[in-house]
Amino acid sequence: MSAGKYMEKKRECGIRDIFRRTFFIDFIKGLMVTLRYNLSKSVTVRYPDTEKWVPFPRYRGVHTLNRDEKGRELCVACELCARACPTKCITVVPMEDDTGRGIADRVAKVWKVDLVRCLFCGYCEDACPTFALRLGKDYERACTDVSCALLDREELLGPAEVPWSFDGGVVVGARFERGKGGIKVAADLSDEKSPWFERQ
Amino acid sequence: MNGEKFVTLKVNGKEVTVKEGTLILDAAREAGYEIPTFCYQENLSGVGSCRICFVEIEGQKKLQPSCITPVMADMNVRTDSAQVIAARGAMLEFVLTNHALDCPVCDKGGECELQNMVWKFGPRKGRFTEKKIRFHEKDYILSPVIVKNSNRCVHCMRCVRVCSEVVGKAVLGVIGREAHQEMTSFVRSYLDCDHDGMCIEVCPVGCFMRLPYRYKARHWDLKSAKTVCPYCATGCRMTIQERDGVVVRSIARLGSGFNGRMMCARGRFGYDFLNSKERLKTPLLKVGGVFKEVSWDKALGVIREKFTRADPKKVFGVASARLTNEELYLFQKLVRSVFNSPNLDSTSRWNENASAAFISAAGIPGRGTGIYGAMEADCVFIAGAQISDENPVTDYIVRYTTAAKRNSVIIASSRAMKLDSSSRMSIRHLPGRLGSLLNATALSLYMDYPERLEGTPGIDGIKGKTVEGLGQVSGVEVSDIKSLAGVLRGSASVSILAGVDFLRFREGILGLRLLGAILKTLGKQLEILPLLDRSNQRGAWDMGVHPLFGPGYGEVKEKGLGVDGMLERANEGASDAFYIIGEDILSMYPDRAFAARALSRAGFLVYQDMFMTETAQISDLVLPGASFAEKAGTFTNQEGRVQAAEPLLSPKGEAKTDLEIISAIGSSIAPGFTGADPQRVFEEIRGGLKTYEGIFPGLNDSNGVMVKGSGNTLKEFEEVKEAVSDLGKNTSYPYYLITGNHLFHSGRLSRRSEILRGLLMEPVIEISSILADELGVEDGSRVMVNGRESGAVFSVRVKKGTPKEVVFIPENFEKAPANRFFKRGETVARVNITVHSSF
Repeated sequence: MSAGKYMEKKRECGIRDIFRRTFFIDFIKGLMVTLRYNLSKSVTVRYPDTEKWVPFPRYRGVHTLNRDEKGRELCVACELCARACPTKCITVVPMEDDTGRGIADRVAKVWKVDLVRCLFCGYCEDACPTFALRLGKDYERACTDVSCALLDREELLGPAEVPWSFDGGVVVGARFERGKGGIKVAADLSDEKSPWFERQ
Repeated sequence: MNGEKFVTLKVNGKEVTVKEGTLILDAAREAGYEIPTFCYQENLSGVGSCRICFVEIEGQKKLQPSCITPVMADMNVRTDSAQVIAARGAMLEFVLTNHALDCPVCDKGGECELQNMVWKFGPRKGRFTEKKIRFHEKDYILSPVIVKNSNRCVHCMRCVRVCSEVVGKAVLGVIGREAHQEMTSFVRSYLDCDHDGMCIEVCPVGCFMRLPYRYKARHWDLKSAKTVCPYCATGCRMTIQERDGVVVRSIARLGSGFNGRMMCARGRFGYDFLNSKERLKTPLLKVGGVFKEVSWDKALGVIREKFTRADPKKVFGVASARLTNEELYLFQKLVRSVFNSPNLDSTSRWNENASAAFISAAGIPGRGTGIYGAMEADCVFIAGAQISDENPVTDYIVRYTTAAKRNSVIIASSRAMKLDSSSRMSIRHLPGRLGSLLNATALSLYMDYPERLEGTPGIDGIKGKTVEGLGQVSGVEVSDIKSLAGVLRGSASVSILAGVDFLRFREGILGLRLLGAILKTLGKQLEILPLLDRSNQRGAWDMGVHPLFGPGYGEVKEKGLGVDGMLERANEGASDAFYIIGEDILSMYPDRAFAARALSRAGFLVYQDMFMTETAQISDLVLPGASFAEKAGTFTNQEGRVQAAEPLLSPKGEAKTDLEIISAIGSSIAPGFTGADPQRVFEEIRGGLKTYEGIFPGLNDSNGVMVKGSGNTLKEFEEVKEAVSDLGKNTSYPYYLITGNHLFHSGRLSRRSEILRGLLMEPVIEISSILADELGVEDGSRVMVNGRESGAVFSVRVKKGTPKEVVFIPENFEKAPANRFFKRGETVARVNITVHSSF
């Protein structure tokens, strides 16, 4: 609405205007919009209380280290991820272990990533010759100090909340949990819900 | 050189003229064209097995391997034609058909010649789909330092060739044929070899790998520094590399030093004492018999107090010949100008008169003599050196150069050694009777040319003797002496490699001088190369860390005492203060009981080292010094090659470099003493010593810089008193005991290396195969060795070719110190051996 038209309207003082002012027509119009949305189907993802977005397969979240079907570590500590990393946020120290811990006798003694410096470019994932390292679907890294951004082998090897077999690109049911260690949004992958772009 | 023909050929249209017999590969490289190679390795025989170096020769239908094809006149060679490039790619594809391609796991990944080659020339995809041949599933351990994976082998045979042609062990061979061929030890058995890792260093892929470095790092993780090996005086240039403050390997690279890829077990695997937890970190002062940690200020205060109060005549200083030139120079300056004492020495094992005479006889004050230059001679006479054990890399150089040049190598020693097999003649003389052998040889030459040799200095000493008589004294057949003299007579140029047995037995020095003088008079081109066993022994002498001469072999105002004299004085109670850097006198002085007695009466004993050695334990103040990896400086090897070293780490804890400590002691007593800047100190050396004038050793000179002649000759030491050692006849102690360094150890420093201890842990005695048969013992048997005053149990190592009456105990074992068997003044100990039963 241009300024001129507004001024014109302001000067208008006919019967219609009196009617409009007396019965709060503008107010009701506004409330009608609110009311309509209030009654229509919601598109909001109810995160973190009951719902959570699981990203698409090609999403680059926090690193995961993976195992083969026999449970052996896929990582052979070749250090190519560390070499490929443009921010040098990955540290790998290999060691020998022929007890069958890994797919080769060479396994990682240290594998750690500094997420504060990581820019989630995925070069490390591309460099990995054994598909041991993949950028996962985890994106909840908010915390009160930097220590939670330093992840090491044990944490990364732990079962991912969203396994690779789960494709993603959906909203699933979730539960908001408060614990001693902080807050957590636990996803229930079996409770698949429609994504927001289909909720019209 | 005369008589050599040159041929001209064309490489890629460019004309080059090279010596006849040059390989096409070398000619092309000279012309500036790069040809990739695999199986080709400088100094090894050619096999032409990998066929990566194919070139096209005009007129020949098939491509030819350039690494085994010599040039011919008017050849027209192409190194970059489409056919050659296609063939290279095809050969690489072929090599990859059976290569394991487990690069992510392989330790060689990132520095692999095959990787680089395929990246540069190779196909990106192979067409071969059949199953690869697998020799084994798991890597197998071949020796305490070598781990093997044959699945990665590319059949270049470098390991087999280097093992037999350079190292001379020939323990690696080929099992199977064609694609099934595997380079390994006999039936893949555990190796008992020199463990020098040459096979690892030459392997282009990850087939032979270092066990101590297994799965430790990638080469890009490592920070490296060029330095000089701290063990023997061959002075190999090496690069040590660390990850996160831990030294993980030492390597020798082609083109970075005169030693190329060669290093021995000590150099290649003896680096890990640097990481030892036992390294000293703080100064320790003995208070009431117990060491207490003190600050540097306190330690320096105590030193100032004790050394300024001491009578200068009663102040003694000994510095290890493993320090840098700068440190040794500053040390002699400290003792001479700050402590005002003339008493200083660089070794506790040798008498100062003997070393001065040896220095003079071997021409050490003159210019440096390179080993490769010495090997050009027609005859190379190695005397008084256990070269295969004491200076392994010199042994390698002698072996492969003599194989190529076919000159005569003659060895005179009382023990058998590995190099015997490459020699034209090996003479076994009685221990300590080298002098008689040299005199007999000189006499034999004199008898051939009595007129020409009349008046040669020293000739009068042998005139009344006979070759037969001297031969009998030295225990050598007259025919051997005659043929040695014959070879010397027939050679236009002679090199004498003179080892530390001259110093250990204090005899033969006059014989060496006489033989040298005779050969010079006869018009031979003579080079004498000393073979020493401490990394900077020559540097220590150059810097004047000797009681009888100053820096640059100059005269000193007052002649001082060597270690012998110092201990004697200390034993009499005439010692106020003793400053020792890095020389473990108690375990090295050839009479342990006497050294212990003398040092306990030595007044105030300051000991500076990296470790709590035996001498450190009986001293009053221990200062923590630094290792070679923690300091910058220069080292002068036995040839006179000055090489610079750079630090890789910083000293542990509160420890300081020895240069800093010496400088701090100096400035605490005499303010204004030279600062601890190695470059400044070297400038002072360069300015003060004629030998080092204009020498600027850099980290990147691959060959170091040779010292120049000093002009000083040490003439006054020529008439050293020398007598034939009395070996005595003693039926209850029938064997002659000699000592020296073991192949895997050098002094006591190498005993701090876990890897080297893994190679050889228990004390060993080397006996001849004849004696072993007589005693009924074999390798690994245990025998009891008894001297007059002490005895110990040793594990037997049998050596073929050693005379029956000679036994050898390395001086390196703390459990059974060899110096326990020796008495002062007695250079050959007598022992008896009985079979030890542990039950």
